[in-house]
Formats: sequence, structure tokens, C-alpha cells
Amino acid sequence: MFVWSIAVRNLRRRRLRTALTVSGIVVGISMMFILLSLVSGMESQARSMVRALGGADIIVSNSTSFRNGMGGPLGALPSPSTLDESIVDAIGGIQGVYAISPQFSFSCSINGRRITVYGVEPKSYEIVTGGLNIAEGRFLIENSNREIVLGKALMEFLNLTVGQTVSLNTGQEGREQTFNIVGVFETGMFFQEYAAYITLADAQNITGEYGLITQILVKCEDPSIVNDVASAISSTVPGVRVTTPTAVLQQANQMLNTLTMFFATIGLVALFAGSFGVVNTMMMSVTERTREIGILKAIGAKSYDIMKIFLAESLLIGLIGGGAGVAAGSILAYLFPTLTSGIFAIGISPFGMRNPFSGAAGRGWGSRATSAIIFTTPAITPINIIVCFSLGAFVGILAGLYPAWRASRMRPVEALRHV
Amino acid sequence: MSRLIVRTVDLSKVYRRGKVSVLALRNVNLQIAAGEIAGIMGPSGSGKTTLLNLIGGLDKPTNGRIFVDGVDITALGERELADYRLKKVGFVFQFYNLIPTLTALENVEIPLALAGVPKNERRERALNLLKMVGLEDRAEHKPDELSGGEQQRVAIARALINNPSIVLADEPTGDLDSKSALALMNLIKDLNRRNGQTFIIVTHDPIVAERCTKIYTIRDGQIESA
Repeated sequence: MFVWSIAVRNLRRRRLRTALTVSGIVVGISMMFILLSLVSGMESQARSMVRALGGADIIVSNSTSFRNGMGGPLGALPSPSTLDESIVDAIGGIQGVYAISPQFSFSCSINGRRITVYGVEPKSYEIVTGGLNIAEGRFLIENSNREIVLGKALMEFLNLTVGQTVSLNTGQEGREQTFNIVGVFETGMFFQEYAAYITLADAQNITGEYGLITQILVKCEDPSIVNDVASAISSTVPGVRVTTPTAVLQQANQMLNTLTMFFATIGLVALFAGSFGVVNTMMMSVTERTREIGILKAIGAKSYDIMKIFLAESLLIGLIGGGAGVAAGSILAYLFPTLTSGIFAIGISPFGMRNPFSGAAGRGWGSRATSAIIFTTPAITPINIIVCFSLGAFVGILAGLYPAWRASRMRPVEALRHV
Repeated sequence: MSRLIVRTVDLSKVYRRGKVSVLALRNVNLQIAAGEIAGIMGPSGSGKTTLLNLIGGLDKPTNGRIFVDGVDITALGERELADYRLKKVGFVFQFYNLIPTLTALENVEIPLALAGVPKNERRERALNLLKMVGLEDRAEHKPDELSGGEQQRVAIARALINNPSIVLADEPTGDLDSKSALALMNLIKDLNRRNGQTFIIVTHDPIVAERCTKIYTIRDGQIESA
């Protein structure tokens, strides 16, 4: 179409001006792109961290967090305090509770390596949390005996394969048992994969703590009532501590959304400034080509045709700016961790990223681990590429509207008189 | 007498220059027959270009009517008028007025593109016309690589591409040497004889006037003699 050839050639005729105009858009788009990539990076990190917490809405545990004893003199990890199994029924009766799953977690060594082992009821665990992400083999089944599911990182560390047996040692006299590896789970977070799952009955059996549990995982009927159910539990059941991981996730998501909005606003302001350059360039272009507009109208172009020619030109500026902006942003995002190594990991805590996760990950894990893990790498996602590229095009069109309208409104006789 | 292609009825045009009104045309009653090469002559500022612009639908009269092929073009709206300019008339200007960024061939193609003719057909018809004006080997040249005479022939090809019934030319030889002017007028006579198109040419140039089939003289906004 000749509209495009005219547009392309006019941009080529004024290379320097075109380059300067485009660079205004490039600055805005690349800024936007790198900031959005940063948020995407945090998001994916947050998601994989929370996935390993399980999908439980509420975790109920003893109000005194840890007790000593099982670890022995060399015990690396303290073991959580226990609750009596009878409170499972008490919590199950609370309004708004959809399903519950008791769990017994304890510290234990597998082939000499200390890890956390979770004893769960397979069926209710899957209902409450949505289940583990099984990479190989299968999860535990109801009434399975002496079966174990291990984290992928642990499997690799201990050089194990599905079908082999491992020996679990709680550190107490005569408390060593052999388990069959039936499956491998994967969370994507290295530290979360140093764990194992067995059935609740096996866990109570190996520790000798019959009738006791360490946590109760609760799923609510509706995500919106999580906080109400949590306070109902803490007020009706004495001596328990209630944590709400999904609420933490929601909170984190809210913060990420705020962060996205904040960054997007910065990017938009830059883009807005850049768009004035486009408006200015297009106005100049319209004035310079007044005579050309007159000629085109004289030989039969409608106002609409004139509008198309100038809109095509500003759209091209936007497309080039969007493309170059995404490219520049990608390079910067790629270099970002090297440029800011460490700084951003600290800088992020004011937004509250570290605290919720260290708290939530405190299920047997030191909170020191999390601050080292939240080290944000920008994620270059197709969505961000599409959003930023189309934003460039959109700004191009928007900035071109007024100049194009001015051009289309010119009266042919007057435009032709223009020298 | 042959069919009338252009008929103006009490045509007047008043320009407002701030508070001063300038009467460019007053009650012009002009009749041009189909197939004529009509020359419009007269001193500067007499209203020649205004008359041409009105007939070409570039401007609207203050009073009066213009009938082209029986249609009152003063009653047409903005879009219809653009369509009229696209299909019914062709324009040739003194300073060629080609689009500087496009090649000769593309310049000739523009009216076809505006009319929505597909690319292949556009190419073919534009090349044929460039051949007719003797410029087929200059098709890929930009206007600034062509001489004045060549540019004006490209402009004629562009004016003719949609087969208009009238070609309007405003001082087409005004910027040409006499040899190019003569060649241009011979081309116009040739096209007129072959296609029967009507030419209305505003001019000062005797070379043009001698080759018109009829001369209209305009003075102080009025047709003097026919």
C-alpha cells in the first residue's frame, strides 16, 4: 500500500530526526520492560516458594514452637512441639472449614543426612494442599506401609533412584527403619527439596509418638474467609498457633501488584515524555508537507487517506521504538543481576518480601535461608514483550492522532498555496 | 454544437483578506464543450486560477453553480467532492507538484491506489501511461532526478491515470523552456485527439494559446470574450 511507502520514505528522509524521536520511545519502553521483568522475576520466585508451603489455607501448630530432645547432642534441627490428635475433630467442627489434614513433622537422618520428614495422611493431604508436584513415581497412598517420597535435590545428593530403599534414623535407640522410595517431588526451590514424606502412621510409629501430631493443615470453604476461620480456631482451641500461608501469598501478591503499578507508573511517565517528542515530530512533518497534503487532496485523496498516511508514520515510530525498547530492555534485564549484585536483595525488604516468606518458610527452616534466596533475577516473559511492544505502537498511534487530524483537515487550495 | 461538459451559472467568488473582501470572480457564465482544448487567458489576478480551482472542486464558490457533465458539483459534500477530483478531473500544476519521496511510477499510481485498484493492475496501467508520455525508462526515478519537462509529463500521466473527462492545467508550461513547452502541447493535442478528453488550460504562453481550440479571456473576474 502506498500509505506505507510514503511513511517509510519520510522517516528515512529525516533519519536523525526519526532516530531522536524513536529514542524517546525507546527510553520509556525499555524502562517499562525492565521494571515489569523484575516484577515477573519476583512473582515466579514467590510462586515457587509458596507452592512448597502447600496449598493449605491455615496451618495450626502448638503455640510453643520447638522442643528439644529428638535431635540428640548433634541435632541440627529442633523438632516442633506436638498437639494431641483429638483437636483434629475440634477444628474439623469449626464453621467454614472444608477439609483438614493432620501432619507429623520431625527431624531425622536419611543415610546420614539430616532432613525434615513429614508424616501425612495421603488422601486428606492432597485434598487440603492440592498435593505435591511429583516428578517421578507416585505419591503415598492410603495405608501404604514403609513407603517414602523424597525431594529431587535430596535424591540427587544421596544418589538414589525410585525403587531403592533408604534407612531412616531418628537418633533414638532402636528407632531405625527401612523405607521404599516410591516417588520424587519437585518444588523448584533447592532448600525445600531436602525433605521427605511418609504416612502419618509410619511417622508416629518411628518416633513412638502415638496419637500426636505437629501441625494440622486446614482448607477453608472459600479463600475469602481464611482470616475469620483462623481467628475462630485460635479462640476455640487453646494453646495453638495459627498461620495462614495463602494469606501470606495473597499479601505478597498484593505487594507485587502495588510494585507493578508503581514501576508501570514510572515507565508510563517516561513514555509519556517520549510521546511528546513524537507529537512534535509529527507536527513538524505535517507543516513541512502541507503542500504534499494539498497535492494529494487535489488528485482525489479524502481526509481519511491523509489521516492514514500520517498515522502510519507515527505508528511506525511507535513500532520501531517498541521493538528497540524491548530489545534494549531485554539486554538490561539480562545484565541486571551483574549490575546490582546483592543490592537489590536488600533493597527489596522494605516492600515486605522477606518477612512474609521467612515467616511462612519457618516450617522447620531457619529464616536466614530466605533472605539469601530472594535475589531477584528479572524474568523476560512473552506477556511483557507483547505488552511493551504494543504499548509502543499504541503510544505511536496516540501521539499521531492530533497531527494526523490537523493534516486531514487542511483545505486543498490553501495547502497548495503553501511553499 | 457538441455536448457541454462544463457550464457555470452566475459564478462568483469573494475572498476575505481580514476585513477587506476581494471579488475574484463575478457572475461568470462559462460554457465549455466536450473535447475542447480551452485556453483561459488574462492578466495576473484576474481570477483565472480561482476559476480553475472552482471547476476542479478544490474550492467552493461564494455564489452560483457549476455543472460538470450535468452534475451540480457545488452541491457535493466533502467526500463526494474528493471522489469527483479523483475520478472525473485530472490536475496539472505549474510546478509539477509530484510527491518528492516517490518514484515517477509511484506518483502516477497514487490516484489508482486512492481508488482502491489492486497493485498489479496499478503497475501495468501506470507503466502504459508513462510509455505514452515517453518516460518508460525513467519510471524508477525520483522527481529530483528528472528535468522540468519530464516532471510535467509525469504530472500529465498522473492526471490521466483514472481516465478523467476533464484535465485542468494551471500554467503547465510556466516553468518550462519553449522546446519542452512545445513538446508538452503536442502531447496534449495528441491525447485530446486520441481520447477526446477536454483540457482546460490557464496560461500566458502563446505556444499554448496557439494550440487551444478556443480561448476565453478573463479580466477583473469576468469573461470578456468567447
